[in-house]
Amino acid sequence: MAIFTKAIRIIAAALALLMAVPMTAGAVSSYQGYVYDFEGNDIYSINPYLFLTSIDGTDMESGPLKGPEDLFIARDSTIYVVESGNNRVLHINAQKQVLGIYGDLEGDGALNGPKGVFVTENGDVYVSDTLNRRIAKFDKSGQFIQDFGVPESPLLPGGFVYSPSKLIVDKRGYMFVVSEGTSQGLLQLKPDGTFAGFFGANHVPYDWTRIAVRLMASEQQREQLSTVRPPEFSSIFQDAEGFIYTTTLGVEENQVKRLSAVGVDTLNMNGSQTYGDLYLPIRNNQELQTAIVDVSVNANGIITALDRTTGRLFQYNKLGDMLFAFGGFGNQDGLFKTPTSVAESPDGMIYVADQTRNRIDVFYPTPFAQLVHKASELYVDGKYEEAFRPWQQVLELNSNYDLAYYSIGKALYRQQRYKEAMSYFKIVGDQADYSNAFKEYRKIVIREQFGSFMSVLLALMIASIAIRLIVRNMSARKKRQEGVRTL
Amino acid sequence: MSMFRRMRKVLFHPLQFMEDIRDEGGAYVRDIAVILLLTVCTRIFFLMASGFSFVNVKPYSVSVFLEVLWIVLPWFTWSVSNWAVSTINDGEGKFKDIAVVSAYVYLPYIVITVPLTLVSNVLSQGEGSIYGFINSFMLVWMLFLLLLQVKVLHDFAWGKTIWTTLVSVFGMLLVWFVAVMIVGLVNQSAYFVTNIIKEIGFRS
Repeated sequence: MAIFTKAIRIIAAALALLMAVPMTAGAVSSYQGYVYDFEGNDIYSINPYLFLTSIDGTDMESGPLKGPEDLFIARDSTIYVVESGNNRVLHINAQKQVLGIYGDLEGDGALNGPKGVFVTENGDVYVSDTLNRRIAKFDKSGQFIQDFGVPESPLLPGGFVYSPSKLIVDKRGYMFVVSEGTSQGLLQLKPDGTFAGFFGANHVPYDWTRIAVRLMASEQQREQLSTVRPPEFSSIFQDAEGFIYTTTLGVEENQVKRLSAVGVDTLNMNGSQTYGDLYLPIRNNQELQTAIVDVSVNANGIITALDRTTGRLFQYNKLGDMLFAFGGFGNQDGLFKTPTSVAESPDGMIYVADQTRNRIDVFYPTPFAQLVHKASELYVDGKYEEAFRPWQQVLELNSNYDLAYYSIGKALYRQQRYKEAMSYFKIVGDQADYSNAFKEYRKIVIREQFGSFMSVLLALMIASIAIRLIVRNMSARKKRQEGVRTL
Repeated sequence: MSMFRRMRKVLFHPLQFMEDIRDEGGAYVRDIAVILLLTVCTRIFFLMASGFSFVNVKPYSVSVFLEVLWIVLPWFTWSVSNWAVSTINDGEGKFKDIAVVSAYVYLPYIVITVPLTLVSNVLSQGEGSIYGFINSFMLVWMLFLLLLQVKVLHDFAWGKTIWTTLVSVFGMLLVWFVAVMIVGLVNQSAYFVTNIIKEIGFRS
């Protein structure tokens, strides 16, 4: 009986303990985040972002969203949503309160299928009114001010069709407009709407088959070949420092570019970088192509790109190193149907507009992502020593994160701890950096061991001379003896 | 003459070595086994013990079977192809001699790769040109031995030697092509027959 009550008491105690210990909060996600390692394998990673909520407008006074095309998040974290279905731009905050509506029901301020929005620091709202072939400008209160129609210039090619989609306005008031179907570059418009020139044009990618076909084709066949145009832009973004980021469709690499003031790409400095997935599914015997449709860059230079082919978001640091991939297609929360735009708010939330589901999904960063961001920002700024500890914490959470090994290797190299740096570079298979670290390490070893090395060499030399002398001596004695014998 | 002395002769007096084999015989089939085994060991040593600055191979990705295949197969097909081609072209070489001497062509690879692998552990990529130079020197040496083998064993002039070598290489590729084709066809027909048997099984 005593044993029985004791057992009950133990069970009760165990149950009480179980209730007292908080159950680990595991957020179940509809997708699995991953990252490409240095060898190009996709390695599962802790999810960098998780679904928080979605904004569909059904509980807002402005009514449900319809066809959200573009997102713009202002410095005060308020969100501007272009609704091409409702022909308006909605200004809301993260608490789903409506702050303003741009786009009149009729008159000059009425929009028709708008596709892009940009808000200046003083609150002027520029909307590309795509089907009306103009850019409409509203003031902060929603009052229509003026519009900029089809630009005219002898520089514009014949048969030019103006179809403005995404746009930004720089600090001087110049507008940079993506015109759909225009491959000469971004349209740069002066503050009064006159054409100032093309900006940052893409180049026709090199293609062997095209050259071969051109060589073999006859004069008439050549005329019938479709002329190859440079790939066109899909979106444009201006970061806090005023750099312009563009995204390009129909290319395999350098889909995201950071353009300098003269239109030169400063992001992909070492030639070429593939954004999005490295391996895509094959349909109709052809590999699908990544289609980066929008990009957002936060104040620390973390780039978030949205791929419409896989429905995934890809994050990169300022140098273009991949940090994470997450998201995908599906019906669950956190997955998309037709994602059109991505924007990051100053507090680190990621907003993604979905045209088909008529809603905006909001994602929050996990502690893992915050850690990687922190480490990566310190690393990019050249603060290798400070980045050391966060990178190690990243590895404690995810020991398959190659960028952490590489960055720690770099930090160790900077601290002249070459031997340790070598082992980190070896883990990620980076032969060039390994070799550099090894070269320095070798110098140190040779410098330290020079004395003993030389004394060993000296000893060997003396020994070899001694042996040679002895051998010569012995053979001479042998000969002498033989000589005696023959005598 | 011990095998060690034969090897030394191949390395330092190849012409004399091959002439002796042609005129007086003395090609030992057991040499083939030893040389090929040493070559495979050297290859594995190279993959496993090279400095990371030069060779980045993960141990799990090394297949001993494949390494053996890529050493034995070229030697064997070369011997067959060269024997066949040179016999048509009035070559004097016997198959045994060709097989043995062809195996000896791997000798510079063994002699150079082993020290080079050790040295690669103290070189950085900046000194990669030395590494590359020694590697290409080795290849030239092997090519020289190969050409010399064709020339001496069959008693050809240089022009004919080079022509025969090129045709032999073509013959090698042809052998591989036919082998792959035969494997494919046998595979397909085996699949066909087993499927028919299966189907009969289902219907009866």
